[in-house]
Amino acid sequence: MIIRIALLLLFAAFALFSSVDLLLWLAIPGLPQLLTPLGLATLFSAFSILLIYGLLALIKLIMRACVDYLSAENRAHRRLLFNQVRQQQVKQLYFFKKVQLNYFVEAKRKKLLMANNQQHIHALSKAIDKELSTLKDQLSRTHYQALHHENIKHLRKRDINALLQLQVKIANIV
Amino acid sequence: MTTFKNWVLSLLNLFHSVKDETLYWQKNNQAQQTQLKHSRILATKKIEAELKKKSVQLEHEISLLRTKNDTELIMLKTKCKQDIKDYKQYLNALDQLKHSLQLSYKQLPEAVAFTLHHHAKHLLNQMWEAQDFEQRMLHEMQLINFMTTLHEDTRHYLEGASTDILPQKTLNLIQKSG
Repeated sequence: MIIRIALLLLFAAFALFSSVDLLLWLAIPGLPQLLTPLGLATLFSAFSILLIYGLLALIKLIMRACVDYLSAENRAHRRLLFNQVRQQQVKQLYFFKKVQLNYFVEAKRKKLLMANNQQHIHALSKAIDKELSTLKDQLSRTHYQALHHENIKHLRKRDINALLQLQVKIANIV
Repeated sequence: MTTFKNWVLSLLNLFHSVKDETLYWQKNNQAQQTQLKHSRILATKKIEAELKKKSVQLEHEISLLRTKNDTELIMLKTKCKQDIKDYKQYLNALDQLKHSLQLSYKQLPEAVAFTLHHHAKHLLNQMWEAQDFEQRMLHEMQLINFMTTLHEDTRHYLEGASTDILPQKTLNLIQKSG
């Protein structure tokens, strides 16, 4: 209805402007000066009505959206979605905790293994050193020192194969 | 001026007639409108109740899931602790094996003792890291076979049945598997 009124006012304004043109063409004085402000006022009121109507509609829409957002149905829906996400999170948390636990256990096992390896590498190196010292008199000073340094180097590098080869090399000297 | 008055009156008439029409339509369809409104409210309430019910069910499921997960995690932790304990015991057992081997074979070079111990550890790790049960069993059999051969070698040597200064059968087994 309001839109109709606004449109009618708009048409009335156009009619007034047309009549002003007609009166000017007919060269009738006085009346165009009177009709022009009237036409402008009509046009202004038409646009004002349209603008106010638009603003009111917008406010109404916003209010409706707010009421809809806070409605019991939507609140229940949001609660359900929240619970679904929470369930998914609980599942993910369990999975990651399991992965974490397995990771730490594996790390601990590797640490134990490394410590054990280290202990036996040291024992091997010590045995090589002992064997080398028994051969000290049979070997030249430089050769002995080279073999001794080789032993220390392989021990530092934890190179098992090199230590074993060194042991075979020393055994062959005997 | 009269034309303008008539025009305004006709405009008002038009306005009133439109209003009348709207009122008549509302009067005629009031029952239907009320019913529609009522049905809409009922449907909304029904949906709301269903959603609430689902939400409560889900909360219950989450609480059950949490309890189940916590229990499983505690069980898994216990199992992991036991696994680590077992692994430690295996390593100690292998260390003792090396020690007893060195005691049995007085002339056994450290390199050979190290190789035997290292191979046993390698088999143990293979068994531990096996993904499926079949593989695990296979590696376990290999480890048992290795230990048995080593034990037999030592027994033969100590009984004087073998003159080898090294556990030869075990070393052959390592060469074969290598």
